[in-house]
Amino acid sequence: MSARIGVYVCECGPNIPDRIDIDRVLEEISPLKDVAVAKRYRLLCSNDGKKYLADEIRSEKLTHLVVAACSPRDHEKTFMKVCLEAGLNPFLFQMVNIREQCAWIFSEKSEATRMAVKYIRAGISRVTLHEPLLQKEIKATPDVLVVGGGIAGVETALSLAGQKRRVYLVERSDALGGTAARLGRLLPHQGTDMRLIQEKIEHAENNENISVFKGCEVEDIRGFLGNFEVSLKRSGGEPPPEMFRVGAVVVATGFALWDAFDPDVTGYGKIDDVVTSLEFEAMSASGKILKKNGSPPRSVALIHCVGRKEKGYCSKVCCLYSLKFAHQLKDSQPAPDVFEFYSDLCLPEKTDQDVFEEAKKRGVRFLRADDIRVEGRNGKIRIAYRDGSAEEAVEVEMAVLAPAMVPAPDSDRLARMLNIPLDETGFFKEAHSMLDPVSAPISGIYIAGCASGPKSIPESVVQAQAASGKILSVLMLGKTLEPEVKVSTIKEELCTGCQTCLNVCFYGAISFDAFRGVSVVNEAICRGCGSCVGSCPSGAISSKQFTYQQLFKEVMEALR
Amino acid sequence: MTQEFKPNLVGYLCNWCSYAGADLAGATKLEIKPTLSVVRVMCSSRVNSNLVLTALAWGADGVLIAGCHPGDCHYEQGNYYARRRFALLKKILESLDLEADRIQLSWISAAEGKRYADIVNDFAEKISRRGPSPLRNHSKI
Repeated sequence: MSARIGVYVCECGPNIPDRIDIDRVLEEISPLKDVAVAKRYRLLCSNDGKKYLADEIRSEKLTHLVVAACSPRDHEKTFMKVCLEAGLNPFLFQMVNIREQCAWIFSEKSEATRMAVKYIRAGISRVTLHEPLLQKEIKATPDVLVVGGGIAGVETALSLAGQKRRVYLVERSDALGGTAARLGRLLPHQGTDMRLIQEKIEHAENNENISVFKGCEVEDIRGFLGNFEVSLKRSGGEPPPEMFRVGAVVVATGFALWDAFDPDVTGYGKIDDVVTSLEFEAMSASGKILKKNGSPPRSVALIHCVGRKEKGYCSKVCCLYSLKFAHQLKDSQPAPDVFEFYSDLCLPEKTDQDVFEEAKKRGVRFLRADDIRVEGRNGKIRIAYRDGSAEEAVEVEMAVLAPAMVPAPDSDRLARMLNIPLDETGFFKEAHSMLDPVSAPISGIYIAGCASGPKSIPESVVQAQAASGKILSVLMLGKTLEPEVKVSTIKEELCTGCQTCLNVCFYGAISFDAFRGVSVVNEAICRGCGSCVGSCPSGAISSKQFTYQQLFKEVMEALR
Repeated sequence: MTQEFKPNLVGYLCNWCSYAGADLAGATKLEIKPTLSVVRVMCSSRVNSNLVLTALAWGADGVLIAGCHPGDCHYEQGNYYARRRFALLKKILESLDLEADRIQLSWISAAEGKRYADIVNDFAEKISRRGPSPLRNHSKI
């Protein structure tokens, strides 16, 4: 049976006929080989238009459809749906953009008309080479692996378990809660007290939908969205727990404190009573903020931004927790002198300013300081610093460092295992830091909390809830997944087995079949970018709907 | 004489950034010279020497490849591959004594309609001044 192509030019109201002579276009297109129908219609994306198009496909017995209208970014999907309803494979359709990239940019009507004819000819000559493609469906496991049992991991697990998902919560240490559970106390807007965090942990431990694996790490993960296979190992070396399947993975591995600072500058490890913020939190949690000799400090320096310059980013939460420390110190009797050594104050949340103003009222001294050096002098701690051009110094009995938050140890190992990238700071990279901040660039893998960079507790909780929401909207119970259709395919007889494609595929969608000596595409993972096609030296790879032949047809018409 | 010459250009645009940038140029009604025919690809990394050289061999006076800005690739690193391939292809053209400035690689985001219009108009202007491709009359499709 020979092809019967239907070409429909949409007027898009006045948009297209104002700038393109549609009758002239139809005159040129109608006589072309295999064109059975060439017509114009006032608005194809309207309900009437869609019905008209479906009727035409059926009554004209079209084998292929070309719609010349707006950008495919606007209505390609609309017309593919029409094809499907009218019984035409939606991939035997080509959309030609004669509005945005023709009518609207060319000022002379004759030129716009000439270019429109060119584009439509290109569409016609490529559409005859289209293959009827099928949308595949993949069964998906709705269960989820959460790596890291800090506040972000616990919140993710609870949110998902609430929707009847089996959650595997894997925590390297022997307790859930992470850093948040080790804090002395919280500021008012982070929850009234630590009991709320403990309650969350208990709920996670006791939830029948959550399997908690403490003292465990991920040994291996393989697979893709909907179908990951996971094995764990126990840190203690006991036999590992069972292997299991999940549909999605949440990376909630948190952070560590930077500890590579110079002891000659910070005094840490050399001078008594110079402690890190987390050591101070531990003292605070035990209710005893005391010097090494057992007496309470009469003066305390809180030193911000330790490592900010070296790491190149702000850790966001240190200013606020240093203010929290200041308040806490001022609460004790007798209240010590408190000095905040800061370089810039980062207090962005709506309640932060109040905490700051209140601290000033309570006599906390704020010193804008550069080039801070912590020195030991006669059993006291001397903080030397520069204020503008003046050299200054303050003597205190205790100094608390606020080191930069850095990626959790072994983040690189987990990243390699999951085939997801870290960014230049070493934290996990988001699919898009602004517009898709809880997704990793690989489908099915999500990031929550400090794993992608410094965050406060409320921000981590929000991310955990967001990641859960994304997972619940992708892995719906009883629903299958629809992978990309326009994927890469490899002609085995042309493949030389050089494996260049394996290296360029960002998604790990290509593997090498050593027995047959050829590369193989996993269509469930392939996203259809065509990078492998561009890289293949023997031309063995092709991407569906963007084959060389189809693109060459477009080029040929462009140069006619 | 070059005033009369209207170049015939092919533009391979990535679907996510540059093609959307071209749409935006249209939506904001910027004027572009009718010299460049757009061929949409999913990613600039799909464009290799085969696609570019074929267009030149068939008589294109210039070929534009446009993708997402570095760091913005929809597929994470496709534009880096495009950049490497482009650098290599330029060298190949130079070594064959073909006019390497008839090919151009540009980064155009979905928000840069004006940049798209400027790049296409400038490229057309540049190629107009250069005159027809020497390959034009050698091979006709």
